[in-house]
Amino acid sequence: MREFLNELFTKRYKYDFSYILSLSISILLALILGAVIMLILGYNPIEGYGALIKGAFGSPRGIGDTLAKTVTLAMTGLAMAVAAKAGMFNVGGEGQLFLGAMAAAIVGAELTGVSPIIAIPLCLLAAMAAGGAYASIPAVLKVRLGVNEVITTIMMNSIAIYLCVYLSNGPLKTTERGIASGTQAIDPEFKFTRLITSSTLTQSIFIAAVIALVVWYFMSKTAQGYEQRLTGQNYEFSRYSGFKTNRIAIISMIISGAICGLVGMFEVFGIHGRFIESISKEFYFDGMLVAMIMRYNPIGIVVISIFFAALKMGSTAMEMKVGISSELILVVQSIIIFFMAAENGISRILKEKAAIRKAKREYLAAKAGNV
Amino acid sequence: MSEFLAAFFTVFNVMLFQNTLRTATPIVLAGLGGLFTDHAGIMNIGMDGMMLIGAFTAVMGTYYFQSAFMGIVLAIVVGVLLGLFFGLFVIKFKSDEFIIGVALNIFAGGITIFLLRTLTGVKGAFPLPKSLGLPTVSIPLLDKIPIINELFNNNSILVYICWLLVIICYLVVYKTPYGFRLRAAGEHPQALRSIGVSPDFIKYSASVICGILCCLAGAHLSLGYLTQFSENMSASRGFIAFACIIFGRSNPIKVFLAALLFGFFDALGLRLQNIIPANLTLIIPYAATIFVLVIAALQSKRKSKLSELKLNKV
Repeated sequence: MREFLNELFTKRYKYDFSYILSLSISILLALILGAVIMLILGYNPIEGYGALIKGAFGSPRGIGDTLAKTVTLAMTGLAMAVAAKAGMFNVGGEGQLFLGAMAAAIVGAELTGVSPIIAIPLCLLAAMAAGGAYASIPAVLKVRLGVNEVITTIMMNSIAIYLCVYLSNGPLKTTERGIASGTQAIDPEFKFTRLITSSTLTQSIFIAAVIALVVWYFMSKTAQGYEQRLTGQNYEFSRYSGFKTNRIAIISMIISGAICGLVGMFEVFGIHGRFIESISKEFYFDGMLVAMIMRYNPIGIVVISIFFAALKMGSTAMEMKVGISSELILVVQSIIIFFMAAENGISRILKEKAAIRKAKREYLAAKAGNV
Repeated sequence: MSEFLAAFFTVFNVMLFQNTLRTATPIVLAGLGGLFTDHAGIMNIGMDGMMLIGAFTAVMGTYYFQSAFMGIVLAIVVGVLLGLFFGLFVIKFKSDEFIIGVALNIFAGGITIFLLRTLTGVKGAFPLPKSLGLPTVSIPLLDKIPIINELFNNNSILVYICWLLVIICYLVVYKTPYGFRLRAAGEHPQALRSIGVSPDFIKYSASVICGILCCLAGAHLSLGYLTQFSENMSASRGFIAFACIIFGRSNPIKVFLAALLFGFFDALGLRLQNIIPANLTLIIPYAATIFVLVIAALQSKRKSKLSELKLNKV
């Protein structure tokens, strides 16, 4: 823990100051742009953002929901980061999440009556195994055959989602009356306790915290993490240095998929108590955005997740109170990414221009000196 | 047995191939656009988002001007803007193509739903009257020939434009100086610079062409195929188009054939819905995409091994 705090506050992250500055400016500009859109459409932006902040932090329930969303965002963001650091772009987290949720729901329902101390870890394992195994397919295809993993993972999203929807409406549909679709309910004993009444914040936050610490430690403190980083940065170099690059890439994808599966399990055990069709509303893509904004830095992902979770939860309140569609926040988020992506290029262009100007001045000065 | 045959013919009939042509069209259009950026050395995974925005603007344009033609024009204009926007980041700012592509897709999903809800107050789907859809073209002599007529006649105008574009794109890419420069921009930008052509300019043009064609693909989806806009209606077709480009090695004719293959799987899924639960048949085109990509990868691996062997012999 001390090391973690040290890392967060001491010199190792100091050089990232300019990054944090440009991130803050990007976020500010994007929020202003959001306000301009509200103005154009005839809403009062102060009222809109006011409702947003109040919705996210205004009540214990709001805070609880925001924290719960933080868990989902941080976990999916970390999942993206683990794979991306090894040079694998896992866009298929949504499918891995669905399969993890489905596996956990099936095992959870099968083990009804078993002691939770045995059953819950088994469900955890089932969810992680399902997500990890599913993620290993595109990883192997990429490493062995060079099949673009972005395309395969996206295709596998649709496959997993349709498959789970089919299962929960067909062969695995609950026999309970009055439920349109969904699998058999898990034993109520297994359900995570809610930490704040009527909010969605559950004990899963503790599991998530452990996973986050493990991922951070793995990525920045272990030799494997170092090899992983190098593999992502320079595949050929790492291969010739004798790293088992293929294995590193595949393992990173499996870890990534396992974390996604776990997020699916949290939804089942924390909230719904069974697998339902709408178990995830593109949760993984939100997490991906967060990971990309923080350039796959695990600590940064956890910290900024709180901010984006507040935006997300607040936006629903904003939609209900002021009537501004909550999708505006998705727009604001993607604008932040565009700004961050542009920032790199703009500062590079400015530097180049400055260098050219300097060279010109020196040339002129030298010329003047000669004459 | 006769039951099986009856079931077989409810799936495999002229309708299947008619559906194939119709479902392939958006993939062909997006694929043609994407092969330009691919030749120019840009990995464009934002095509799905471009399609979605194209579909949305086409419907909105049609709705406000009460004419499908204006819808298409608006979609083309937005396509140019999207191409320039994408180019600005990828070419000028040299941002990560992957990040920009993903961000563009998420942006498209957000902005279309947001604007749909605020402009029309509708959630989910916004239907237009059928009369506002794209006009169909009937070719006078074709209606005398039974099957050919059902297949090739009375399609929406974009279907014919799309077939025409396949040939035009082939000629442009392989038979014109522009195509030569386009391919050079991707493979050897230095060579272009040495003859005084800016590779960036060529890349921008490719990006704009891609934007236009992707938006046309979207317009066909929302005006030709259906006459409505529904949330996330591109349904990963942009990525399937990307797979077609890989499979067809960026050759317009081969990309067209690959898209037909996916159109066939898509149509097959639609036709099978009478027999197998819809959620399972919906998987078919996506599974087929992965399957085809694996085959393409195996082929190229075998080819490179063969050439290695030949080199060793020499």
